Amino acid sequence: MFEVRFHGRGGQGAVMAAQTLAEAAVIEGNYAVAFPFFGAERRGAPVLAFTRIDSGKIYSKTQVYTPDCVVVLDDSLLDTIDVVAGLKPDGSVVINSKDAPTDIDLGMEVHTGAVNATSVALEILKAPITNTAILGALAKVTGIVSIESIEAAIKRRFGEKLGEKIGERNAVAARTAYERTVTGKSMGVKRLEQKKQWLPTHQELPVGGALVAGKTDAGLIGPGSFTENNVSGWATFRPVRDREKCTMCLLCWFYCPEGTIVRISDKGDLMTNYDYCKGCGICANECPVDAIKMVRARV
Amino acid sequence: MKHVITGDHAVAIGAKLCRVEVVPAYPITPQTLIIEHIAEFVNDGEMNAKFMTMESEHSVMSAAAGASAAGARVFTATSSQGLAFMHEMVYATAPLRLPVVMVNVNRSLSSPPGIWVEYNDSMGERDSGWLQVYVEDNQEALDMVIQSYRIAEDKRVLLPIMPCLDGFVLSHTVEPVDVPDESLVDSFLSPYEPDVYLNPEQPAVIGMLMPPQYFMEMRRQTAGAVEAAKEVVVEVNREFAKVFGRDYGGLIDTYRMEDAQIALITIGTVTSTARKVVDDMRNEGKKVGIVKLRFFRPFPAEELRAALSGMGAVGVIDRSISYNGGGPIFSEVRSALYGMTMPVINHLAGIGGRDVTENLIMTMFELTLEAAKGGKVKEVIWHETRGETL
Repeated sequence: MFEVRFHGRGGQGAVMAAQTLAEAAVIEGNYAVAFPFFGAERRGAPVLAFTRIDSGKIYSKTQVYTPDCVVVLDDSLLDTIDVVAGLKPDGSVVINSKDAPTDIDLGMEVHTGAVNATSVALEILKAPITNTAILGALAKVTGIVSIESIEAAIKRRFGEKLGEKIGERNAVAARTAYERTVTGKSMGVKRLEQKKQWLPTHQELPVGGALVAGKTDAGLIGPGSFTENNVSGWATFRPVRDREKCTMCLLCWFYCPEGTIVRISDKGDLMTNYDYCKGCGICANECPVDAIKMVRARV
Repeated sequence: MKHVITGDHAVAIGAKLCRVEVVPAYPITPQTLIIEHIAEFVNDGEMNAKFMTMESEHSVMSAAAGASAAGARVFTATSSQGLAFMHEMVYATAPLRLPVVMVNVNRSLSSPPGIWVEYNDSMGERDSGWLQVYVEDNQEALDMVIQSYRIAEDKRVLLPIMPCLDGFVLSHTVEPVDVPDESLVDSFLSPYEPDVYLNPEQPAVIGMLMPPQYFMEMRRQTAGAVEAAKEVVVEVNREFAKVFGRDYGGLIDTYRMEDAQIALITIGTVTSTARKVVDDMRNEGKKVGIVKLRFFRPFPAEELRAALSGMGAVGVIDRSISYNGGGPIFSEVRSALYGMTMPVINHLAGIGGRDVTENLIMTMFELTLEAAKGGKVKEVIWHETRGETL
């Protein structure tokens, strides 16, 4: 049995990646299952997906706790999530990063393959959707499936859903990432502080689960608690406003789904609060005078 | 003062006496009279409540939950298909711990279409977290509306409750009912004052998503509240008896069980008829008694075990069917009596409004006596059903 855990963010395609890996394994005559675990689904939020591969039928219907391989579609996750939790000592990590494995601190020295999958995706797919590129890297690092099977699986799954052309382009992304993947041993220095979770007993849980604003050892709960949830790491792009062009029409302020554009003076000057901006680009899209440009938040 | 009124009228007066603040409503036979009476009370200025006619029962329960979450005392009533239609929101209300009182006038669920009494409607909400109490006459119907607010709003409970009365047999039958003075009800029932509610001064999140790491605790909390309701039901009954002079026994009531050899478990109006049958049979020297199941949720398992200990046999009347052999009350009773050795017989009767006569109840007693003597008696009996033998 070979078990893979994918760490990604909503919208990056971790679930499709897990499913496509399963498809590739089945193409090679194996049995495979893939499944997601969603929190509250939304673009940019951390998501998990899993793939299990074996020669015969797989009966286990639980999540993967001791993976043979961990795939990280977004290296900003390393700041908050212990991606190598439970990883087998002889396992491997596949990561979307501009850095070489030897420069990446995973908190565990482990066989690692790194590729700048975001750049590959932007180059070939014209969108920062890294799930197919990362599968190319996975084929190179683990050898659990061949790059040819990955290409075939991508063409099948993506081709069926999005058309033959897109299927083929995604297969090219996988092949490109396969060729650019650098392998090596990661660093094992940092110790992630375990984020405390608020886990009340049924007696401690407020009656009916009704929460008023409150403070727990694990942080704020109830109305207003989102202020603790810095999501600046979610953005691939961030909006930058040209103050010369801006006419202060406030359409961006109106359309921002997260309320991150703040009017900071009586004259109505604007500021984007990047702590909560997820880089969705709606403001730039709505701006009637093209005063907002989306620039890469991370390279 | 005694009023000669229908069960529906008694219920409506009960809601008025409890100073209910919000009544979202949708009419359905045989509950309609309740809604009509309340509409009149509100129109005539006798009742200071927001009366809202909704576009469906689903919206009725949504509005009821919302009004309750905003801190109001809420009343509504429904029946049969109406209850089925609001099923989703019935489930939403209990774990949020919103003490809505909704009277259900029991009526069969289609198909086949019918408007007469059967308990399949309320039995379908068994696992929703709502408390359920079944009444045997119009006085009990009125009194249980009053008691229901005390039980539901108790801080140990905070659950919605469904007083149930038999369609037509009570809803449209007039009998004398002692309508208590408003001041007496006021002394028994204080205004509803929730700790947390939708209040702009103190914002709260009510009904948020619960991921798996919280869900079991939420379910366990609701289960604990249903359990806690047992002692509250008993307390409230005791206090009600002190103030109003009527004692209903709490979770169950018993009749002539002191030296009984067998017992029949009854529910709803069948209890009333069965009391007379017991008297008649006692006159013939037959030692029979009744255990009246009042609350179906919380289910009084320990109380039944205590009341039925030493019985030669137990008969269970079900006015609904679970299409799995017997009725839902039978399943629960037999589970409660696990480990006790007496035969337990299920008497299916009166389903869909067929009359449950004194003769029929006597037959049930006789068959239960037969089982106690070791005679061969079917475990599940379809009474007065063509094509079935006893």
